[in-house]
Amino acid sequence: MALFTNKNLLNINPTRMISIKLNKHYLGLGLLLLGLVSCSEPWEDHAGVNDSNLTLNLNEAISQNSQTSEFGKLLAETGYDRILAASKTYTVFAPTNEALAAVDAPALSSAQAKKLFVANHVALTAFTSVSQQDTVSIEMYSNKYLQFIDGNRIADAQVVDADNYTSNGLYHIIDKGLAPRRNIWEFIKDQAATNDMSAYLMELNAFNLYPRDSVAKANAMPGMQADSLSNSYFTNVYNLNNEKNKYTFFLLDNESFTEETDRLKPYMNRVSEDSTTIYTNYFTTRDLAFHKAIARENLPDTLVSKFGVKVPLTEATIAEEIQLSNGVVYVMSKLEVPLETRLLTTTIQGENPFGFSQSDKRANTFYREKADPQGDVFFDIMVQNHRVPRFTIYYNASNLYTTTYQVYWRAINDIQSNTFQQRVSFGGFISPTDGSLQQPFAELPYTNVEPNTYEEVYIGEFTLDQKGRDALLVSLQAANSATDGVNTLTLDYLKLVPVIK
Amino acid sequence: MPMKTFILTNKKKFILAGLAIALSVSSCQEYLDVEPQDKLNSDQVYRDVFDADAAIIGTYGKFMQLAEKYVLLNELRADLMATTRNSDPEMIALSEHAVTADNRYANPKDFYEVIQNCNDNLKNFDIMLAEKKFTQTEYNQRYSDIGALRTWVYLQLGIHYGSVPYITEPIENLDDVRDTALYPRIPFEELIDELVAFTEGFSYTSPYSTDSSLVINVDGYNTAKFFINKECLLGDLHLWDNNYTQAAIHYKNVMETGTMSGNDSERFDTYRVKFAEVATNNDLAVGYLRFREQDRLALIDNNSQGWRSMFARDRDVLWNTEWIWSLPFDSNFAPKNPFINLFSNQGGDYLVKPSQRAIDLWEDQTQRNGFPYDARGKRFSYNVIGGDEVIMKYLYKFLDPVTQTPIDLFQTDGEWFLYRAAKLHLRYAEAANRDNQSRIADALLNFGIQSEYTVPGVTDKTDIEQTFEPFPYNFDARAGDFPRFRADWHRNGGIRGRAYVERAEVVGDSVISIENNLIEEAALELAYEGNRWGDLVRIALRRNDPSFLADRIYEKLNAEGNAQAGSVRTKLMVRENWYLPFVWNEEE
Repeated sequence: MALFTNKNLLNINPTRMISIKLNKHYLGLGLLLLGLVSCSEPWEDHAGVNDSNLTLNLNEAISQNSQTSEFGKLLAETGYDRILAASKTYTVFAPTNEALAAVDAPALSSAQAKKLFVANHVALTAFTSVSQQDTVSIEMYSNKYLQFIDGNRIADAQVVDADNYTSNGLYHIIDKGLAPRRNIWEFIKDQAATNDMSAYLMELNAFNLYPRDSVAKANAMPGMQADSLSNSYFTNVYNLNNEKNKYTFFLLDNESFTEETDRLKPYMNRVSEDSTTIYTNYFTTRDLAFHKAIARENLPDTLVSKFGVKVPLTEATIAEEIQLSNGVVYVMSKLEVPLETRLLTTTIQGENPFGFSQSDKRANTFYREKADPQGDVFFDIMVQNHRVPRFTIYYNASNLYTTTYQVYWRAINDIQSNTFQQRVSFGGFISPTDGSLQQPFAELPYTNVEPNTYEEVYIGEFTLDQKGRDALLVSLQAANSATDGVNTLTLDYLKLVPVIK
Repeated sequence: MPMKTFILTNKKKFILAGLAIALSVSSCQEYLDVEPQDKLNSDQVYRDVFDADAAIIGTYGKFMQLAEKYVLLNELRADLMATTRNSDPEMIALSEHAVTADNRYANPKDFYEVIQNCNDNLKNFDIMLAEKKFTQTEYNQRYSDIGALRTWVYLQLGIHYGSVPYITEPIENLDDVRDTALYPRIPFEELIDELVAFTEGFSYTSPYSTDSSLVINVDGYNTAKFFINKECLLGDLHLWDNNYTQAAIHYKNVMETGTMSGNDSERFDTYRVKFAEVATNNDLAVGYLRFREQDRLALIDNNSQGWRSMFARDRDVLWNTEWIWSLPFDSNFAPKNPFINLFSNQGGDYLVKPSQRAIDLWEDQTQRNGFPYDARGKRFSYNVIGGDEVIMKYLYKFLDPVTQTPIDLFQTDGEWFLYRAAKLHLRYAEAANRDNQSRIADALLNFGIQSEYTVPGVTDKTDIEQTFEPFPYNFDARAGDFPRFRADWHRNGGIRGRAYVERAEVVGDSVISIENNLIEEAALELAYEGNRWGDLVRIALRRNDPSFLADRIYEKLNAEGNAQAGSVRTKLMVRENWYLPFVWNEEE
């Protein structure tokens, strides 16, 4: 019919006559073709939607499937029916009716809980059972991450019927409801009433261990989990409230928590009893969180904490193991970290001073990069020919323990042939008038720096009785001489080794 | 309305047809023969010396399109440059010596396009001279320039393809070059002989005279160093021919460029690899602020002082003491600078990087202040930017000296570095070393003539600090006050002296050991300037020892954990496998 209309149109338009003449043959051919094939509708066959699966959206398909109709009702109840009718692409893990009936009551106790429960079954974009990876980590609408393993397992549920596709995504039918788990931090929060260690960690919501904590807390956003460092433990150790990572956390029961803190307490002496306790607890708990979830059967003999403390696990006793959404918590009835490994050696790098007794000697201050006779490269500092008696370089030492320290240095005297002397002092303050060191509580003796000595040299010991809030001032002081070559300073590093009382 | 238009159009057609007939009948052919305004006809070129100059500039413009290929073929195939995560399979094939016929970097056509241009220039220069369109002097200078440029291109072809057709006349169809019946391919040794014979025939081998119409200031550039240095080329050819005395003679001619100058700094500094100016740091040496040599933060690391500045500074007095041949890329003119894209990881594709082997070479050196590396490596030749090792020599004009981010993405000025004094000294030393002058070679490589020939404690320098050899091995480096001497070579500080590294030790046979030192020094000093592959091939040929080349490529690939390292070494132990396939496709 359309063709006739065209022909009429052409007839009454003489300027187009030429083109009609030219195309006459093709037109004839076209007519013939049309005559041959007009019985069927090839384009309709080709482009039409004939797959009945694709006429339904996810919400309709799940509700109409007799296996998952109960979950379909839950979708409608929580409002997810409208979400799953949208034209985005989703993946739904729909539990069977039997599985839904078996879900623990608390998971569906309130409207809020139901919503979270449903959200934990729905993810944006399509995840089919066919994937190149054996494990796909899927972020659900609940913000929890679930592991989709080998295309046939999600968390601890088996996929019964995979890859049912619909117009806006696909759904897998699973044999178990995916009740959303708490994360490690939510678990700790729930334990706070009965567990001392949990209670202490909650205290760190308000208490700032270091000045930087308050900045992180001020920037924390309610509702955010990944980057919101609302607790001092998150800032300084790991953010156990972060769903995107996995952690292993050892929670001590009350008895062993007391045992551990009591052992450390003498080394954490502060002005007030309260702050001694709070820092003792921190230095005990900071070594108990580890990155990555480690399954019980894979726990090694020793774990090394973020701070370098070796935590021995051979003698430890696990009372309970709780799988959580972002890792695993082991409740320990015994986990003893001996002081030998708990107390860390502090190393101060010579090339990282925070100040000098006077600031006009930059031209005499050499930040060097050298190699020792074995060819190992080291960075150090040297101040030479400055003409200032008792020129001083200042360093900070933080996180020291209240105990006696043995002090070693590695000081390289390689461009002079003479031996010179320098000394190290601890504590005191920098004079605001002339930048000199005032009233250090411990002053080690002037010690020779022999030429071309690349070994560590023991230079004495000092005892720290009580800790203040600030880092300890450590000073490296030149000889009391204005003579070049005699008042040289050099330092690769200082090593402060704590002694067990 | 349409009807009317139809008739009108037809009417017009008739009128046009009529006009056409009328025109074709009438004999005024010139009427339609309009000359294009943006193209030249053959009778509009080669009319006078200025046309000849324009043709030369045109050929050099064409020549600059070889820049990227030159650097890639000579460096990526050798051991100092490696591929990155962004490199395409054809680059990886270059690096792994698995080049197939369809690899675009292996296509020799670009080289022959330049040769074709040169041949056309040379033929027309002959015609111009015959028709007296320019003088004999003008002819000599221009003919030898383009002739030398063609020779340079052939030398590159020989290095990379082994046997190539040697064509010296313009040809109708460039694709015929592939036809071995028309243009037989001659082996490398024969090619070198041809090139020596041709180039030695020049009656003019100096740079263009300063009053030449080609030596001008244009768009802020002085053109004097745009043109190939014929004496350097002659030295290179003789060095490839193992004709050491001749090579030394030609190199020495260039080294003495400043000798006749009345200007002291020109006389003492030009191409003599001058020692460091420790007080002012206004030099081309690796140096530190004075009395702060122990402070790594006091390294002279900016675009106007020290070793780095030779790649960054304008064509000023100091630049002219080092650079012999260098062509600028300017963002305002074609051709486009290819090196930003090749090297930069900001505003570029970061296609190549320093190999681990090159990095290790620099790290194995010791500076004279005890620092366990060569600053020419990680401080200057490459930097770590954003976690990537980035080759820096070509990027100093593109990246901000402090922030190391592009100053302006569209400001892509740069240079094609082709010849400089350090390379000249190393090549001269290579010839001298093989010509029984190892002591001179070792002196130029390390701390200079004066340091080698002086006698400690002697104030009267009359009879010391000089070589007492005839040309080309005559050096006088005397600097004394009683009596006073300031000889031509007294400021020569040696390559390693200028680079502030400890001397290279001679172990075992001194000739072989010094030659090894010279080639390694070329790696440290000239990395990524397009010399490495040629150096390896030349020494491997001279010693008839393919392992000299194969071992180094093996070490590069092995250091990267490339599983092919062993098989590549086996392959390169056969000389035929050093060469690229000589093929190109019609449509390219």
